[in-house]
Amino acid sequence: MVSSKEESLIHDIKISTVGPGYVSGQGAVQELTSMDLAMKLHYLRTTYYFRSQALEGLTIINIKETMFYWLNHCYIPCGRFRRSESGRPYIKCNDCGVRFIEARCTITLDEWLELRDDARHKLLVPNQVLGPDLSFCPPVLMQLTKFKCGGTSIGVSWAHVLGDAFSAAGFMNLWGQATKRQYPTQPLRMTRSDNMGHNPKSPIKDPLAVKRVGPVGDHWTSSNHSKMETYSFSVSWPELTRLQSKICGDKNHQQMPPFETICTVVWQCVAKAKHGSEVKVVTICKHGSKKIFEGVITNEAQFIKVVKTESSVEESSLMELGLLIMNQGVDVRRNVKEAMETNTELPDFLVYGANLTFVDLYDVPFYELDVRGQTPVYVNCAIDNIGDEGVVLVLPARKNHSDGMTVSITLPTDHISKFRSVLKKEWSL
Amino acid sequence: MSKKFAEEAFEYLICHAHILLLILLTLSISTHASQQGLGSHLNSLHYLLLNLSFIHYIKITFLLLIIIKLTFSFLIKPPTVYLLDFACFKPPPRFRVPFATAYEHGRLILASEPKSIEFQLRIFERAGLGEETSLPHPLHYLPPRPTLIGAREETELVIFSAMDSLFQQTGISPHDIDIVIVNCSLFLPTPSLSAMVIHKYNMRSNVKSYNLSGMGCSAGLIAIDLAKHLLQVHPESNAVVVSTEIITPNSYMGKERSMLLPNCLFRMGGASILLTNKTSLRKHAKYSLLHVVRTHKGGEDKSYGCVMQEEDSEGHVGIALSMDLMVIAAKSLKSNISALGSLVLPVSEQVSFLFNFLARKIFKLQWKPYIPDFRKAFDHFCIHAGGRAVIGEIQKSLKLSDEHVEASRMTLHRFGNTSSSSVWYQMGYIEAKGRMKKGDRVWQIGFGSGFKCNSVVWKCNREIEAPKIGAWADRIHKYPVFVPEVLKL
Repeated sequence: MVSSKEESLIHDIKISTVGPGYVSGQGAVQELTSMDLAMKLHYLRTTYYFRSQALEGLTIINIKETMFYWLNHCYIPCGRFRRSESGRPYIKCNDCGVRFIEARCTITLDEWLELRDDARHKLLVPNQVLGPDLSFCPPVLMQLTKFKCGGTSIGVSWAHVLGDAFSAAGFMNLWGQATKRQYPTQPLRMTRSDNMGHNPKSPIKDPLAVKRVGPVGDHWTSSNHSKMETYSFSVSWPELTRLQSKICGDKNHQQMPPFETICTVVWQCVAKAKHGSEVKVVTICKHGSKKIFEGVITNEAQFIKVVKTESSVEESSLMELGLLIMNQGVDVRRNVKEAMETNTELPDFLVYGANLTFVDLYDVPFYELDVRGQTPVYVNCAIDNIGDEGVVLVLPARKNHSDGMTVSITLPTDHISKFRSVLKKEWSL
Repeated sequence: MSKKFAEEAFEYLICHAHILLLILLTLSISTHASQQGLGSHLNSLHYLLLNLSFIHYIKITFLLLIIIKLTFSFLIKPPTVYLLDFACFKPPPRFRVPFATAYEHGRLILASEPKSIEFQLRIFERAGLGEETSLPHPLHYLPPRPTLIGAREETELVIFSAMDSLFQQTGISPHDIDIVIVNCSLFLPTPSLSAMVIHKYNMRSNVKSYNLSGMGCSAGLIAIDLAKHLLQVHPESNAVVVSTEIITPNSYMGKERSMLLPNCLFRMGGASILLTNKTSLRKHAKYSLLHVVRTHKGGEDKSYGCVMQEEDSEGHVGIALSMDLMVIAAKSLKSNISALGSLVLPVSEQVSFLFNFLARKIFKLQWKPYIPDFRKAFDHFCIHAGGRAVIGEIQKSLKLSDEHVEASRMTLHRFGNTSSSSVWYQMGYIEAKGRMKKGDRVWQIGFGSGFKCNSVVWKCNREIEAPKIGAWADRIHKYPVFVPEVLKL
């Protein structure tokens, strides 16, 4: 949990709004797909840390100016939600803008990064959700925090209804380009909806991938039954090799890709930590090829697979679990979309955390955010507003992927400490 | 058809009466002279004078009187004041506030007052402002953070941008400026804004500077009036007039509905104008100043109190607008045009008006009051874009067409209510549209607290090409735009 001591390090908060500098959205209507609406309760909170050279010599107005030019090409996230006559949400591209928060930190960047508490990154990114005044809530918020040494952090809160983590990172990377006066040839767009259309018939059973909550109405949030806590640990390449060999045996260790390796290890550790309550179903989220979706923000690119096992996870062999993860999962997106559209009222779902969810964010171009020639020294990413079963994010540790990966796991507080001890005991991580 | 012909013939006769009289008199005298026969010139003149009857003496006296009057007015005529050029401030994109953002901010700030929020929404929907108006940076914050530094920054940006453009367009050096007049109603720091200008441009130490503050939205035309009087007294001089309203210190932070309107309408803007009486610059000047007519209704309580800066019950300072504002504006306009009419209306209109007035008041005939047709006096109208209702009212009173008020409406749409500089954005619009022709007469009308109504009349002095730079240059092809009665958020 964030201690009040850490909270007191952040001060001098100022809130404003930045939007497109020229008429861009023109009040156009942007339809949302079933997948977008299925993900609407989740929020991506990413914090980018930069050394002082990145924004050196720029006043806050200079920085905002780059944003006014950037958002001319990204007007969809600057819009606001409305509901059509049928009650289906859509985005009105009215150029309302992104909420922009300025803050200061009393310690230096290095001192901050050395702090132990993993939850501290939350202080540097806005934590608002959409609603209850849905039409007047920004889907994207940013926070610029200046450290004592001149280093800065940019915290971005991105409503998942707009798109997945690749979309969010792509959006931010365009800002980096804007700081160098480079702009995309086309504005950011959403994939055209392949909606099967709202088709209420006898509602099908909710797929395993989701947990139905609500109805949340215009307040797109949900509450957890227990307090959630996040723990991050890094896995270097040599350590990964060690894990792979332990799972597959020395001869075959190259056959299990890194992400699946982590999933296997963590799945079993969580099962052991939750000894008593079974973790027989997990959800795996991986991205399709990102090339097709450049210049696009979307929720259609992320595969959602559900992996089920009948046997006890604690006692299964790691190889067995690994094979299940690699081979068994079926893409359940169609089921999710059907579940959205066949109900009379649009339902409210939680996808991340409905089951223990593993999200592969290793290839998200976080470290490609280039601000005036500088890339981040560290990036933290978290998914907010998740189900009680917890979420595991696999993130790149540093740019160039040279340092391996960072794994960030969010579980109910009771289970986190047990998880940490299992991880240490069994895997020395 | 015949009625129209009769009207036009009447108008022509009356307007050119003095010339026709002159011609008639001359013809009559020379006819008589030729009838008397012409021997040698001297003899004939002597002979003429001896043989003239009383009637002829009367005619000659009239002729001489007309000649004397013309000579006299030519001799004592004050030097013409010319407008060399003007430049309007174009806000950079980083200050843009779309309708949605302005409303959202208002909603967040007034969160505890749903009635005020609803009132504000109704204003925004009907205000006639477009999506590209601008507010200074301190007012982009939630809540606004007006500071003295912020106000100075806005001032420097607006005034110096406009003046840089002006110097570039005219080729005049700041060193050649003899008079500086700045008007800005609600921001009055020390040193004054005129001192700020003189400092920035390193003007001469004997420059005459004036700073008008507190005079409201019509102060720009008052500044022109002041410049005119100064240029009539100081020969061979250049005067620069800067008209602006600095928004930063004036955001209303309370919830009184009568004081919320300015927040919704006032936007960043400013203009600088170069006036001169130098003979060498006459040919280059765009306009010559014909008339300035100022009307002040401050003697009446209602007029004085209809736009009042005050503190609300919570101590927030704002500008309260009374419900009678439209009525008072219409009355002050009527006073103003009564005075202006005799200067600008063609004689035919004045005669018709006099005729109608006498018939109603002296002979008690039940005729409808004759409203002079100002469209005959002017080619272009620049009505202060105070708000959509103001423009609509004036359009109705003066029976103007939509094209006549287009400059006003489009300025309100593109830039919002920029207070005293609004009439200059409108001039800029007309020029950018290529509608300004040599000889055209332009009427600028300003309204402001007090309650004042001021008119300035210009005559276009030369052919004006649609400017390629300036506040309208990049957007003019998109105008006019249709502004709906109610714009739904």
